[in-house]
Amino acid sequence: MIAVLQALADGLMIGGVYGVIAVGLSLVFGVLGIVNFAQAEFMMLGMYVAWFAWRYLGLDPLVGAALSFVAVFCLGALVQRLLIQRIMKAPPVAQIFLTVGLLIVLENSALLLFGPEFRTVKTAYQTRALMIGPIFVSVSYLSAFVAAVIVSGGLWLVLTRTWIGRAIRATAQNPMAATLFGVDTRWIYAVAFGLGTGLSALGGGIVLSYSSVSPTSGSQYVVLMFTVVVLGGLGSVMGALVGGVIVGMIQSLSTLVMPIQLQNLALFTIFIALLAFRPQGLLGSPSR
Amino acid sequence: MMRSLLIIAAVACVALLLGAVLQPRGYAVRVVCLILLAASLGQCWNIVGGLANQVSLGHAAFFGIGAYTSTMLQIKFGLSPWAGLPIGMLFAALVSVLLSIPTMRLKGPYFSLATLAFGEACRIVATAATGLTGGPQGVSVPFAGNSWLLLQFRGAGAYVPVFVGLFVVVCVAFTLLANGRLGYMLRAIRENEDAAEVTGINTLGVRLAGGAISAALTAATGTMFAQFTFFIDPDIVFSATSISIRAALIAILGGVGTLAGPIVGALVIVPLEELLSAYLSNKAAGIAPLIFGLILIGIVVWRPSGLVSLVTQRRGRT
Repeated sequence: MIAVLQALADGLMIGGVYGVIAVGLSLVFGVLGIVNFAQAEFMMLGMYVAWFAWRYLGLDPLVGAALSFVAVFCLGALVQRLLIQRIMKAPPVAQIFLTVGLLIVLENSALLLFGPEFRTVKTAYQTRALMIGPIFVSVSYLSAFVAAVIVSGGLWLVLTRTWIGRAIRATAQNPMAATLFGVDTRWIYAVAFGLGTGLSALGGGIVLSYSSVSPTSGSQYVVLMFTVVVLGGLGSVMGALVGGVIVGMIQSLSTLVMPIQLQNLALFTIFIALLAFRPQGLLGSPSR
Repeated sequence: MMRSLLIIAAVACVALLLGAVLQPRGYAVRVVCLILLAASLGQCWNIVGGLANQVSLGHAAFFGIGAYTSTMLQIKFGLSPWAGLPIGMLFAALVSVLLSIPTMRLKGPYFSLATLAFGEACRIVATAATGLTGGPQGVSVPFAGNSWLLLQFRGAGAYVPVFVGLFVVVCVAFTLLANGRLGYMLRAIRENEDAAEVTGINTLGVRLAGGAISAALTAATGTMFAQFTFFIDPDIVFSATSISIRAALIAILGGVGTLAGPIVGALVIVPLEELLSAYLSNKAAGIAPLIFGLILIGIVVWRPSGLVSLVTQRRGRT
């Protein structure tokens, strides 16, 4: 029983971070209508930015994550202007392969630039744990979770209370109508893609605080990210956050009954089943 | 259709000729073999990816099933790969039908995502099921000297006729499908699924059939690959990048849905791969895939219909 509670608590905290990683993917789909296969690679780049910020500026990865956001936001917006914009109206095949091509390019650029080794950060609180009732709460998980909650709150404020947030949501709902109301949708597309990839990068920085980064970090998270987003309903920001928590819990509960190397298999199976039976997401309403 | 068969025959003859002329244990003939394998793999993908427009990113699943079935049957029961080959093909076709149950209604990127996840799931299972597959350290095909019966030879030269055979079978299958009843139905589904259904096409059955044929032929290519390299492990044969995405890249580079597409794609990709790995790999790991990624992006942005369209467009055909 305590083992289950412990797994649920760990799952909740990791899941909150998954939510931040995945919300970017959901945002990109919701606004641009593009399924970005390369999203996890932007997260990987964010992890590297946070690592370098820790190594050379001495910043805690949770703080460095802000730099990850800024750097990848710029890169994402640039990629959208130069590449994604050209295939906005292309058939799905072109969209799939452009983003798959991006995935390969980003992963191997990281390999060329940073080498294959795994990099980790050291923080003072990494090995500490709090005892809350019968369960242990790792301080790095807890601080990562708190950071994730703050980011989610910030995103909510931006999307609901600012002009740019309203413009993004208007473009997602109806680009034509948004244009008529004076929104330059092409600019909004670039901002939304930057914001989406930047958020995943930010999540990556948070993940780095308790994990490691290597050029293949992206491929470890790609299916996880898509599972979270499909669970919550593609394009739904709230859904992605809730989906993240659910996936985090499933993942940590599955380690109780399954060997660790099969942990991802549970995820893949759930993912395929979800796509087949509830493609609108468990939380979304059947809109199509 | 005659033209297509002529192209296949011409390519097959050139390959056989090269196989006969080139030094049988040399490097050049090895490249010829790799091109034939790559063209076959791309053509298998082309059957579903090109004709039905279902962008599979999980063909490594079938490739790996083919490679592992024949290899493990040989290791455990001494069965010749010639017997393992059809068993693997049947197995892959069966798996493809089972996979269709959850995926056949999915469209566009959703189908790609599901197949990508399926390929990865297969890799995880193959890595974890040590008793069945030998686990992550991989298995070697036992070598017992040159033998047609066991489909294994010293040096690449002797493989040329075998791979030409595979290439011809896969390409003829594609041609027959493309020009036959099933091909028209697949294309009808591609253009408009609802309209196809209304005109009385059993869209479900057609998709299942196309997918199963593609899967079986991919498995055959996997068996041939294992016989050629003598070593397989889950990360090689179930690889999302170097099998699944590469299969699609070969077809897309040449031209999706055309017979010549995967042939042209393989003729460009394989020599490029070899050049890059010969001159650059030692200095910089990752440069070859990086360039493929750039090619993929370039093709999608500047020439979505592939290299073949450079020729066909000039003649006023599309």
